[in-house]
Amino acid sequence: MADKKLTTEEILALARKQKAGGGAETPPAEAPSSEAAPESPAPAPAPKPAGNAPKSTADILAAARAQATAKSAPAEESKASPVAPKSTADILAAARSQGATKPAGGAAPKSTADILAAARAAGGAAASLKPKAAAESAPAAKAPAAAPAGLGVKDMVAAVKQAQQGGAPPKLPAKPVAPKLPAKQAVPRRGILATLAAITISPFTLGWTSLGGVLGLWGLAMARFLMPNMVRELPSKFTVGSPSDYPPGTVSEKYTASRGIWIVNTDQYNGKPLLYALASVCTHLGCTPSWLAGEQKFKCPCHGSGFYITGINFEGPAPRPLERVGLSVAPSGLLEVDKSVKFQEELGQWSDGKSFVEVG
Amino acid sequence: MNHHPDLTVGVIQGLGWLYLLLGVANAFWAARSLRRDGYFGQTFEKITGFEHIPKAFVWAGYSALLMMVAFAHLATHSDAADFMIRLPEWFKDSVDMVVANPISYFVFSMTLFILIVLLRNWWVEPTVAWSLLNLSVLFLCLSMTDYDFRQIVGKPDNVPIVAMLYLVAFFTWLYFYKCRENDARLEQGLQPAEKELGESVLVWPDLVYSEMICMLLIAAILILWGVALPAPLEEPASAVKTPNPSKAPWYFLGLQEMLVYFDPWMAGVVLPTVILGGLMAIPYIDFNKVGNGYYVFNKRKFAVITFLFGFLPLWVGMIVLGTFIRGPNWNMFGLYEYWDVHKLEVLNNVNLSDKFWLDFMHQPLPRPDSSAPFLTQLGVILQREWLGLVVIVGYFVAVPPLLALTVFRKFFARMGFLRFMVMANLFLFMFSLPLKMALRWSLNLKYIVAIPEFFFNI
Repeated sequence: MADKKLTTEEILALARKQKAGGGAETPPAEAPSSEAAPESPAPAPAPKPAGNAPKSTADILAAARAQATAKSAPAEESKASPVAPKSTADILAAARSQGATKPAGGAAPKSTADILAAARAAGGAAASLKPKAAAESAPAAKAPAAAPAGLGVKDMVAAVKQAQQGGAPPKLPAKPVAPKLPAKQAVPRRGILATLAAITISPFTLGWTSLGGVLGLWGLAMARFLMPNMVRELPSKFTVGSPSDYPPGTVSEKYTASRGIWIVNTDQYNGKPLLYALASVCTHLGCTPSWLAGEQKFKCPCHGSGFYITGINFEGPAPRPLERVGLSVAPSGLLEVDKSVKFQEELGQWSDGKSFVEVG
Repeated sequence: MNHHPDLTVGVIQGLGWLYLLLGVANAFWAARSLRRDGYFGQTFEKITGFEHIPKAFVWAGYSALLMMVAFAHLATHSDAADFMIRLPEWFKDSVDMVVANPISYFVFSMTLFILIVLLRNWWVEPTVAWSLLNLSVLFLCLSMTDYDFRQIVGKPDNVPIVAMLYLVAFFTWLYFYKCRENDARLEQGLQPAEKELGESVLVWPDLVYSEMICMLLIAAILILWGVALPAPLEEPASAVKTPNPSKAPWYFLGLQEMLVYFDPWMAGVVLPTVILGGLMAIPYIDFNKVGNGYYVFNKRKFAVITFLFGFLPLWVGMIVLGTFIRGPNWNMFGLYEYWDVHKLEVLNNVNLSDKFWLDFMHQPLPRPDSSAPFLTQLGVILQREWLGLVVIVGYFVAVPPLLALTVFRKFFARMGFLRFMVMANLFLFMFSLPLKMALRWSLNLKYIVAIPEFFFNI
């Protein structure tokens, strides 16, 4: 596979991936790699014994990192924190210092290409020095699975093909393991509280928490809205005075505004003088009609339905007569209205004795 | 009958400002006319003796007249009762006569609609349209001198409806104006103007900027409006008190008018659903490919006229009716008529079953016995309402095939069975409203099918 010139962006992406894979966290519990680590501070990416160039940028970077750690620990003691390279900047810096020490570098590297060349040279050297350690560190069977994300699919396919042709275990590039940190105690490990804080303060958690909070408040407001600040319905049974308060041929509006009924005294329904209570709810759409004494009719202001004094509908869209509510004479001799019962003419309920009081 | 002081100095002076505005607008129109309209022809020269008179002189003279009228209004400071410039009584009486009767009102609005369509190439002429606008403003100004008109049209609730009427008029004009151009182009075998002139613009910045400017303007207008015409606060709502008249929000007044003629279940649920579903179905039942993306009338007459019939006389017309004409007890009142709560309108509406059993068969109406089993009751009810049910079923089942065989023959061939049936039923639903109205007016018919036992009335 020809060595491709990579752009800086690709290098950065790879480095980031590498970092996520094993930079900051503890290395994944893979026995071979952790075993190999103390033995060889620089796990070689390139398994081939002949000093060939490393294949992918991931390899290059891993090598550079290893090189940097290996060198910086003894040589750069004076530096404040010889920690594992965390960012691409570190890696590049390490590579740069590496390059500077090499005679081939000569002058300080100026471009990414220089740095990569230097790193490659260093990696190649390291690989040729300790090829065995690398081979041991990655057993062949595990190799495809343990292959770092940085490896191209083509690399893997090529390796598998090679193995099938040769019958020998494929010599795959070992997973570049995050180097054993020389100064592990320098990385502060999070405590439980800090971890909790990190979880709770993440934008994701904050977003959902605040959403939940708003929804909760909203729910409370809805619950409050379902219990409006209103007067409860008045008792459905109430007395409306004595029958003599309602002279013949009249419609009393005394209880219309407060209780929604008219008390009517007329003989127009069936010839007998009757007292009955009509609910002041239009049978069309529920508005309150008004009693027009001049025209002797109930007239609805919403769609113009009209009802005779008997409650029978005769004009406009109302499909059925007004409804009667219960009316009876209480033992005290006073009229008692019972709004909990309704009597509908079209169902033949107006003949029910509870719907009227005979007078006279 | 004069119930109230007709005019106050404040009203007169306010009208003065309106006349002044109209005069200034006409001065600009005169300037436009000078550039575009040219000169009077030879007949004018022969009759008057003047030569080489630009037509703009008429507009200039009219503008000067308006400004004088405006001055007369603005200079008034006392004796408003003696103010001369007001609407004559004979005009008010004749308008009231037409408007306060449902039959003449709908005949009037239908006539207007037919004229709009028939005279479309004449009235969209800019000069004609401008004259019509002038007439409408003059009508408003003069009518404002009437107390009852002012009470109803000047109510803060109703001001937006007047504005809406002008908007509807403007957009109708715009449509027919563009159509006139495109119809002429298509007749000559040219591309429509929108395609040939490439009126498409970029979304950014053209469209987005226009939208932002519109947004700001609308916000400014709404704020000014909210400050100038505060919404009226009424007494707290009460379940046992209904204001008289009780009006729905203006955009539902068409529905409220339908409720006069239909059961709440029909006018409140079925018909609105059909209207909404029908509007959504239009793109699917439209088989005419002409007119996608440009204004055109001659090639889509049926579609446009049907839509405008539903929109102008049946929807906008009923909003006007509900807003300005329906008064106490939901009676109809003329524009200049006092809202008398005791205005007497004699009506006695009967159901079709009443007509059939009482008037035709001379029998009492069959009444279900409330103690009988349900199926027996149902049988009696069906026997009572059989004629209405037959009429309704026939209307929706028998009429569409008849239409397919007669007037919509070509449509049926082009649309196919399913699409035609959908279209025909929507069409019939739309026409059920004017039909029901006509039946109410002519036969005092309340319901064709009246089953109050099951809240089923059509």
